[in-house]
Amino acid sequence: VGTNCKSVVDLLQALLDGELAEADEQDLRAHLEGCPPCIEFVNTYRKTSDLCRKVLQREMPEELANRLTSFLRERIGRRS
Amino acid sequence: MAAFETLVERYRSRVYSLALRMLQNPTDAEEVVQETFLSAYQNLPRFRGESQFGSWLHRICANFCLMRLRHKKVVEGTVEPLGEPEFDERGHIAIGDGFDWSRRADDRVADAELRKAIEDAVAKLPPEYRAVFLLKDTEGLSYEEIAEAVGASVPAVKSRLHRARLALRQDIDKFFARER
Repeated sequence: VGTNCKSVVDLLQALLDGELAEADEQDLRAHLEGCPPCIEFVNTYRKTSDLCRKVLQREMPEELANRLTSFLRERIGRRS
Repeated sequence: MAAFETLVERYRSRVYSLALRMLQNPTDAEEVVQETFLSAYQNLPRFRGESQFGSWLHRICANFCLMRLRHKKVVEGTVEPLGEPEFDERGHIAIGDGFDWSRRADDRVADAELRKAIEDAVAKLPPEYRAVFLLKDTEGLSYEEIAEAVGASVPAVKSRLHRARLALRQDIDKFFARER
């Protein structure tokens, strides 16, 4: 079965995880070398995780942090 | 308690971020964070290995989030099918207009519109997909740890992660395409 763009999408995660058989990985990399749309796809797929990690992190608001401390002191203090 | 409070201080923002993204509701997120740290304290004798304390906390938090979502029987409005790439009849991918946003994405991390687009895209994922994505790609847990946290097999976790990434990639792609 020849490697096409669909194979790249289907096997990309395994490729990035280093879980592909050597022959499959060679086929995939050979396809990537000659397929600019797939290169673009792989780059943006990889960037998606990185970008989301940077964007989604939030500091806990101070008010909530204080309530969390009070809650734990009350509940843990009551038990001990 | 003082030593535990140091741990709470170190991890509370990451646990809160996870709960907020999972539940999409600040009040629910706050309650789950409280439950998470209380449960962690009560189960400390069973915890082994300081280096994995963060992962352990995230597993507890994810579990509480999923239980809460299941209990509420949250129906995510009209559930849209997850976005994924399209191919022509020869298996060629239907993208490739020469615009690779990965090269300039880092310049836009602080952009409010991009942040909103990503938050909306994550919120749109079904909870089981959202949990796997957040635990792996924002918190760095292993597949095995995630499988334990969400009660699924490792292959199922990998499949959900891939589909979540494809859907998010597509939404981010649309965001950058709108700007062109």
